[in-house]
Amino acid sequence: MKDIQNSRKEDGRETSSRGRKDTCWNRKKNHQKQETEEEPDLDDHKLSSEDLEKKYGTNIMMGLSSTRAAELLAHDGPNTLRPPKETPEIVKFLKQMVGGFLVLLWIIVITSWIIYGIEYSVDPSASQDDVYLGAAVGLVIILTGTFAYYQEAKSTNIIASFSKMIPQQALVIRDGEKKTIPSEQLVVGDIVEIKGGDQIPADLRLLSSQGCKVDNSSLTGESEPQSRSCDCTHDNPLETTNIVFYSAACLEGSATGMVINTGDRTVIGQIASLASGVGNEKTPIAIEIEHFVHIVAGVAVTIGFIFFIIAVSMKHPLLDSVIFFVGIMEANVPDCFQATVTMMLTLTAKRMAKKNCLVKNLEAMGTLGSTSIICSDKTGTLTQNRMSVAHLWFDNQIFVADTSEAHTKQTFDQSSGTWTSLAKIIALCNGAEFKPGQQSVPILKKTVMGDASDATLLKFSEVILGDVMEIRKRNRKVVEIPFNSTNKFQLSIHETDDPDDNRFLVVMKGAPERILEKCSTIMINGQEQPLDESSAEAFHTAYMELGGRGERVLGFCPLYLPAEEFPETYSFDIDAMNFPTSSLCFVGLLSLIDPPRSTVPDAITKCRSAGIKVIMVTGDHPITAKAIARSVGIISANSETADDTAKRLNIAVEQVNQRDANAAVVTGTELKRMSSEQLDEILANHSEIVFARMSPQQKLTIVEGCQRLGAVVAVTGDGVNDSPALKKADIGIAMGIAGSDAAKNAADMVLLDDNFASIVTGVEEGRLIFDNLKKSIAYTLTKNVALLCPFLVYFILGVPLPIGPISALLMDLSTDIIPSIALSYEKAESDIMDRKPRHKEDRLVDKALVIYSSLHIGPMQSLGAFAIYLTVYAQAGFKPSTLIGLREEWEDDDVNNLEDDYGQEWTRYQRQYLEWTGYTAYFVAIMVQQLANLIMRKTRRNSIFQQGLFRNKVIWVGLASPIGIALILSCGLGSLPALNFTMLRVHFWFMAVPFAILLWVYEEVRKLLIRLYPGGTYIIKTILFPKFPTCTLIMFSSFGHKLEDSSGNRDIIKNSYKKRKKIV
Amino acid sequence: MRRQLRSRRAPTLPHGYHYRLDDQDEVNQNYLADEEEEAEEEARMMGVPNLEKEEEEDLVEEEKEEKEVVQNEEEEGQGQPMGNTWWQKLQLINEYLWDPEQRRSLALTGQSCSLILILYFLFYASLAAVITICMYTLLLAISPYMPTFSERVKPPGIMIRPFAHSLNFNFNVSEPDTWQHYVISLNGFLQGYNDSLQEEMNVDCPPGQYFLQDGDEDEDKKACQFKRSFLKNCSGLEDPTFGYSTGRPCILLKMNRIVGFRPELGDPVKVSCKVQTGDENDIRSINYYPESASFDLRYYPYYGKLTHVNYTSPLVAMHFTDVVKNQAVPVQCQLKGKSIINDVINDRFVGRVIFTLNIET
Repeated sequence: MKDIQNSRKEDGRETSSRGRKDTCWNRKKNHQKQETEEEPDLDDHKLSSEDLEKKYGTNIMMGLSSTRAAELLAHDGPNTLRPPKETPEIVKFLKQMVGGFLVLLWIIVITSWIIYGIEYSVDPSASQDDVYLGAAVGLVIILTGTFAYYQEAKSTNIIASFSKMIPQQALVIRDGEKKTIPSEQLVVGDIVEIKGGDQIPADLRLLSSQGCKVDNSSLTGESEPQSRSCDCTHDNPLETTNIVFYSAACLEGSATGMVINTGDRTVIGQIASLASGVGNEKTPIAIEIEHFVHIVAGVAVTIGFIFFIIAVSMKHPLLDSVIFFVGIMEANVPDCFQATVTMMLTLTAKRMAKKNCLVKNLEAMGTLGSTSIICSDKTGTLTQNRMSVAHLWFDNQIFVADTSEAHTKQTFDQSSGTWTSLAKIIALCNGAEFKPGQQSVPILKKTVMGDASDATLLKFSEVILGDVMEIRKRNRKVVEIPFNSTNKFQLSIHETDDPDDNRFLVVMKGAPERILEKCSTIMINGQEQPLDESSAEAFHTAYMELGGRGERVLGFCPLYLPAEEFPETYSFDIDAMNFPTSSLCFVGLLSLIDPPRSTVPDAITKCRSAGIKVIMVTGDHPITAKAIARSVGIISANSETADDTAKRLNIAVEQVNQRDANAAVVTGTELKRMSSEQLDEILANHSEIVFARMSPQQKLTIVEGCQRLGAVVAVTGDGVNDSPALKKADIGIAMGIAGSDAAKNAADMVLLDDNFASIVTGVEEGRLIFDNLKKSIAYTLTKNVALLCPFLVYFILGVPLPIGPISALLMDLSTDIIPSIALSYEKAESDIMDRKPRHKEDRLVDKALVIYSSLHIGPMQSLGAFAIYLTVYAQAGFKPSTLIGLREEWEDDDVNNLEDDYGQEWTRYQRQYLEWTGYTAYFVAIMVQQLANLIMRKTRRNSIFQQGLFRNKVIWVGLASPIGIALILSCGLGSLPALNFTMLRVHFWFMAVPFAILLWVYEEVRKLLIRLYPGGTYIIKTILFPKFPTCTLIMFSSFGHKLEDSSGNRDIIKNSYKKRKKIV
Repeated sequence: MRRQLRSRRAPTLPHGYHYRLDDQDEVNQNYLADEEEEAEEEARMMGVPNLEKEEEEDLVEEEKEEKEVVQNEEEEGQGQPMGNTWWQKLQLINEYLWDPEQRRSLALTGQSCSLILILYFLFYASLAAVITICMYTLLLAISPYMPTFSERVKPPGIMIRPFAHSLNFNFNVSEPDTWQHYVISLNGFLQGYNDSLQEEMNVDCPPGQYFLQDGDEDEDKKACQFKRSFLKNCSGLEDPTFGYSTGRPCILLKMNRIVGFRPELGDPVKVSCKVQTGDENDIRSINYYPESASFDLRYYPYYGKLTHVNYTSPLVAMHFTDVVKNQAVPVQCQLKGKSIINDVINDRFVGRVIFTLNIET
């Protein structure tokens, strides 16, 4: 016994590990055909019950013994999916503490403390400025790190609350008794009973079944109920009927099964672990930010190092040079960048949550903005996920019914007698009923018991006719034959509501061709007419047309039974069919469809203008898919597929040049046969693509195909097995209502209303945040130059230091965070959704931005600040010419009678105080110019007047906060030791204003030139979008990426294929 | 960057496939490059590019082409094993710095490079012009005779001579080497106070009152004499060692010059020294020269370096005649008088000075 068990265990383990290995391997070669993917290596379905008993050491009647079960439980672990590995909180926290710039800042902290240590060991009275600097920077790091961590934790918590699971129970036979136990305690070999309504607690091999039907949609995506029996019908365990899988739902019937896999070893578990195996790729915005950090860090270290070398070679004391190095680094690093970015993203995430996009991963928002392809589900996302009457055909005419979400009135012509008759049949020949107790609920929102089409028809007639239940009461139902797949019709016999008329009324509905067969007459304008050739022709045309639109068509016909033959007492027998079911009178057709959401066509148009390709991926029939695609605009009105062209030109499909067709409808079977190159070609050549009859596995293939073309792909999904695709996609979007937990876990974003239009809103927000982030970086970078220049000038020209490291740090704190965040509230410049998606090479921080910020605006800003700095000194007695080379004397503690240009003599402290006044003045000057910069940065192309100077109310806060902080620092708080701010004369506050205006005028002129010459003349390109040619470029841009300009729209996908075509 | 992304994804793609994809791309790129070249050649065929516009187009095209070239480099880089990436990058940079085929450096031809340099030069030149103009107007607006703001330099600081590092007067009477530099420092400092020089250059003005000189700001001002001989025993005239050889050192104290500074009328600024911490009697007696131990009012106000050329700062000499020997004596000398502040915590040289005497015998 034990041996068997052991071998079983080994076998099982081997099986599962092999299964996983296989799937991994498949993932690796996932450009190849996918159909074999994720096929678990199971053979239990082929075994007889006796073999199973042997294999699993169990007894079908008695079940496992409790002790044995406990042993197995201890060995295999509980029957739950192992949640993806969580990073410990402390690691997350530390990550925030050393991420990005913070490493550089830590270096600054440590260096400055080491410097103090050395100084102290030489001279215990050494100035403590370095300690203060280190402490201040350290404080900033801890604050920003904590802040970022807090924000991240907050957004994670929102999600965590989403995925709370309700514990499940399972009915199991153990020790010969039926017990209810939590399903996580199930072990392999347990005998489990399931019944309609249960969720399957583990992978089961069925031993007996009574009309058991399961919904495997979470596994296969097919929502059709599938019946399950205990016979092995297929070699493939996924296809055979005697295995049911974990997480599937049992819809009806009951069954007994033996547990063959639990927890992560179940098929679903394997898919889930597969999903966590698909690496989380870095989001574009993370890449962008990393890129920015590299640039800035590179510049900081390079410049710092160059000047360190110069300093050493100029025989400056080594320690001074190191201090200098630290100062340069400190000036260059935007200390609060991390906090700013996190804050901006959080704010946008909140805004998006209001618009029904719940963002799990903050950085995913930026990805949304660069999305170039959206692979969308059909049902529920593009459509309303409810059947609705779309068209009616009677009196040889097609009528259109209103399918919008809020339809209350039907506007088609209801005067015809045919309609009266048809309406009656619709109301009567219907098995659906409203659930009681919903009087106050609007008709369309009422819950209905019964099959989907009946429910639709019930609501439809309730809207038109009023109280259907009342009508049914008046026309008492005598007998009924429900719809079944062999008959393909539904029939019921009623008494009539006319008291004088004691005939019975037979009403019938069903598949149109079957209904027509049973009819001998047709009703036109309320009159019965013999069904002749021409009316049959008309019927067929209408049927084809409605069917061609992907709608589900139903035919209706009534028959009054003659009272003589069928008196009131006649007993109808539905098995014997003792009543006529032919020579009925055909009344009309009615077609049902799951109508598109009314907001979707607009959203698709928006996507199109935004250069985003929308691909529909659905499990539905191609015709339906195409019809919906047409109605929402995924396939636009004037484009046609190869089939359409063939039909129009009346030639064979093979003769049509595939590339001439704009649109394509690809089915799952076609996709299976395709090589990845063929798929690429389809994806690249057709702008409008519908994938129909897709299995969710194939979604992954499509996503990968798109990614091979360099596109940023957003994918929607709801099922468990969508999770690999969601994970693989650049941005996975799970459905909030219909979505499974696994899908939500794998996704980056959750759509709370399942609406496609919300994605487009998300894209818009994503683009906006990218733009605004760009603006705030440009805003931040500018100031860095103005903070760097003082150190260089101080060092090269030997002037008293214009701004101290701590003041520079405070500069970062006061002018960075709030104004940058204010920029994130900036409204879109008009054209945001008319642009092509951001290309991956269109960087957040591109050369143009860096060069414009640091070589144009930055120097101008420094210029203004220096002018004020020099004024402070000149007005106190030190003229600019005197300042040059003054540093050594100036900083000599033993010189207490330094002479100025008026012959006055200054003590060291007096000079120091003047220096601090200089810091303050420099600080204020930059602050004032940064205000102008902030206003400038509101737009990138438009004039500030076009944008509206202060339409963004938050910008007021952004403008006021630096002023407020500067005032506080200058008038009080700043006199604290180490901060070194002084009171500043009033006129120094206003002196930078002309320079600020100069900046703004320069920027307006630049924007004007850009607008006047959108393509750009050479001069504009060089100066305003500079491709800067000198070595600075090597410093400014990371190595190896392409050296080209960032303007212009490059649709690489298209271009490369055009070229390929040419070669071919 | 796209390349890099792809390479990050690379593990999911088997190698064979990767190669194929890249090859195709490369073909495309080459094709594109050819296209560009053709266009360029056509442009050349068109004739001599004498119009600036044409030049510009040419340049833009060249740049585009450059980008393709670089792309190609990268494609190749991808195709090879990852170990070579750094070498590839180096090559790329090298190519970038100087591309012999295209005769370009830094992705630019000499022509476009010089144009850009000129434009930037103009830009920065105008910036320089702006700041020059600013400074010029600033200096025009500032009076050269009277500082605009002098609150930072008031109240006056103090300086003492001879110069001693960290203000520690540390010497051994019997070893002239330890105090000789003080004597030299004092002698040097007092050269400007020589009686002959003072008599020649400056006027003898009445004591006890301001030496006010009306007239325009830019008129040269006369200065009052401060003769070396005023310092008596500390003048170095009778005792050329200023008392250092006898262990009775002289220390001179000078108040910092401040334009327009005037002590209270009738209440000249006085100097008073005492032991800062420790026994009051460590000093015992100090002789001040001039005997009033004050700065006479006639030396004020100061009219500034430009007009008050020969201004001689008044001095007060402290003669420590009986200081305790062989022990460090901290001495604090303070200015006393109205409009004098001598207790600023942070500034140990405003209105006061602290130094240490450590005379060994």
